[in-house]
Amino acid sequence: MGRRRALSTPALAGSLVRLLTERFGSDLRDLGTDEDTVEFTIDGARNIEVLTALRDDPDLDFFMLADEAAVDYGLDAHFEVVYHLFSWKHPAWLRVRARVDRSDPRIETITHLWEGASFHEREMYDMMGIVFTGNRDLRRIYMSPDYRSFPQRRDFVLPDDAADSPAAGVNPLERPETWDLSRFGDGSR
Amino acid sequence: MTKLDPETRIPDPIELDAIEEARLRAAAGLAPIRSSTPEYAGFDQVGIPDRPPQTEREREVYSLEEGEMLINMGPQHPSTHGVMRLVVKVRGEIVVDIDPVLGYLHRGIEKLCENATYTTVLTYVDPMDYLATMHNEHAPAIAFEKLYGIRPPKRAEYIRALVVELERVSSHGLMMGFLALDMGGLTPILYAFINRDEIVDMQSAISGQRMLFNFFRVGGVNFDTNDEFLSRLGTWRGHVLKNIEMNERMITDNEIFRARTINMGTLSGADAISLGVTGPNLRASGVPFDVRKAHPYSIYHELEFDVITQQSGDSYARYLQRIAEIKQSIHLIDQIMDKMPHGPVQAQVPGIIRPKPGRAYAAIESPRGLYSVYSISDGGPNPYRFRMRDPSFISLQAMPKLMPGRLVADTMAIMASLDPVMGGVDK
Repeated sequence: MGRRRALSTPALAGSLVRLLTERFGSDLRDLGTDEDTVEFTIDGARNIEVLTALRDDPDLDFFMLADEAAVDYGLDAHFEVVYHLFSWKHPAWLRVRARVDRSDPRIETITHLWEGASFHEREMYDMMGIVFTGNRDLRRIYMSPDYRSFPQRRDFVLPDDAADSPAAGVNPLERPETWDLSRFGDGSR
Repeated sequence: MTKLDPETRIPDPIELDAIEEARLRAAAGLAPIRSSTPEYAGFDQVGIPDRPPQTEREREVYSLEEGEMLINMGPQHPSTHGVMRLVVKVRGEIVVDIDPVLGYLHRGIEKLCENATYTTVLTYVDPMDYLATMHNEHAPAIAFEKLYGIRPPKRAEYIRALVVELERVSSHGLMMGFLALDMGGLTPILYAFINRDEIVDMQSAISGQRMLFNFFRVGGVNFDTNDEFLSRLGTWRGHVLKNIEMNERMITDNEIFRARTINMGTLSGADAISLGVTGPNLRASGVPFDVRKAHPYSIYHELEFDVITQQSGDSYARYLQRIAEIKQSIHLIDQIMDKMPHGPVQAQVPGIIRPKPGRAYAAIESPRGLYSVYSISDGGPNPYRFRMRDPSFISLQAMPKLMPGRLVADTMAIMASLDPVMGGVDK
């Protein structure tokens, strides 16, 4: 059977590429297409601006957030927060890759655009340690609240000494030794 | 009856735990966790965490006003659909707020998959959403085929669509049973399991397994159809519509069922989109989004079907939506059997594949909604990053929206209408 057959790019994605180039111009980097996806890269700091435009522009109309995920490109590189969007007007998934600095992993939340991003962001915080500023509920979601490491980072060491992993401790609230428990005085409940 | 002497009787293990816990907490200078307030005695009450609230939302849920209390549901609760914990804030019998606590079934499947070769990834994803195992394998298979640049043979695509639609029938059928079970009706679940078992026997005939199939391969499927599978399929097709009709008669017009589902947990289309709810739950709110139509994968562009929607968006609409989709899937199975071509079922693919560096996104319509895989290759034998978006994980966010103002007894009835599966939620 057709081993390593080249896959065709649908001509329909072309109109989306044109539209994106018109709207965002030089902001887009690495604009590319594959079988059924159009993708581009932006700066992490501009994610709200770009995503709001993508959602609210009537020609683009990407009304649905299909996925939000994080990728760790290694110690000497960066994080990436990847958004996949869907629109009825364009027969291609749109992938927006936002770069996040690894030494200060902060990016603006998108929960005010799509409420459903909250669990995605909690998972990314839990697994990668990316802090989404403005998210009202940035707690750990899978691991317990006193866990102190980020298991899907590339520098995650063996689970035995996860707390000593260089990936530990982004949020001071996760260091139990710093908690001031005196405020919870008699605690009748 | 003899009276036990309190000095010599053997203490209950639970009692011992409580004494030990109280001693340790006293030694650490912490207040006792269990309430001694008489009006709450006997309830499974949640203590306020012994640490500062980490977020605004946590502060909101765990700070109580006069007359409110927190109760705990799960993780081992007979109707939580798996190991799931809900912290419910109640005022009397009315739910004020709800906080799902996840992670009791977390296995780190994404991390496991990043350390497995592309072929073995397809075995790890099986126990994700364990009522839709074939769907779990479908999306990674498509993603890896995109990365490797290969297409499965036509017959393999048809067999994939066939087993996937069978799985949808069994999963939706179980949802009907569980929904009735959570309202106290025991009979429908027994019939649902009889119907499911026929499909499981078919899947077992074609793949050799009853639940964790490992049936999909990069570039095809493991086995072709065989006589046992086809004969079971024919028998099942002969009476399946009659069975569904029987289930419907049992549930659809039931007075109690209607009273507890109509206008319960109403979700508007706009809210559902914002919350990321997909699949039958979204279509029950009137949004005609179905990945099989919106982004046809596999052979769905060759089949004739319409996207079914309901208008009201309540629990009853979500139930009706499932029934309609079962019938639609049976219609699709008929078409697939009519059109299925002859030929090989597996392309020539080596055991260990090394795709060129790149990214691929594959989304499919699972019985619970949009299930997608985002896979990155760095040229090695295993995925550099393997990301799964599970629909029931995201749909759970609707719970705090749907619950407030409802009775505690309706919590599970509304949750069952969203049909989450904890294997997928916790990955």
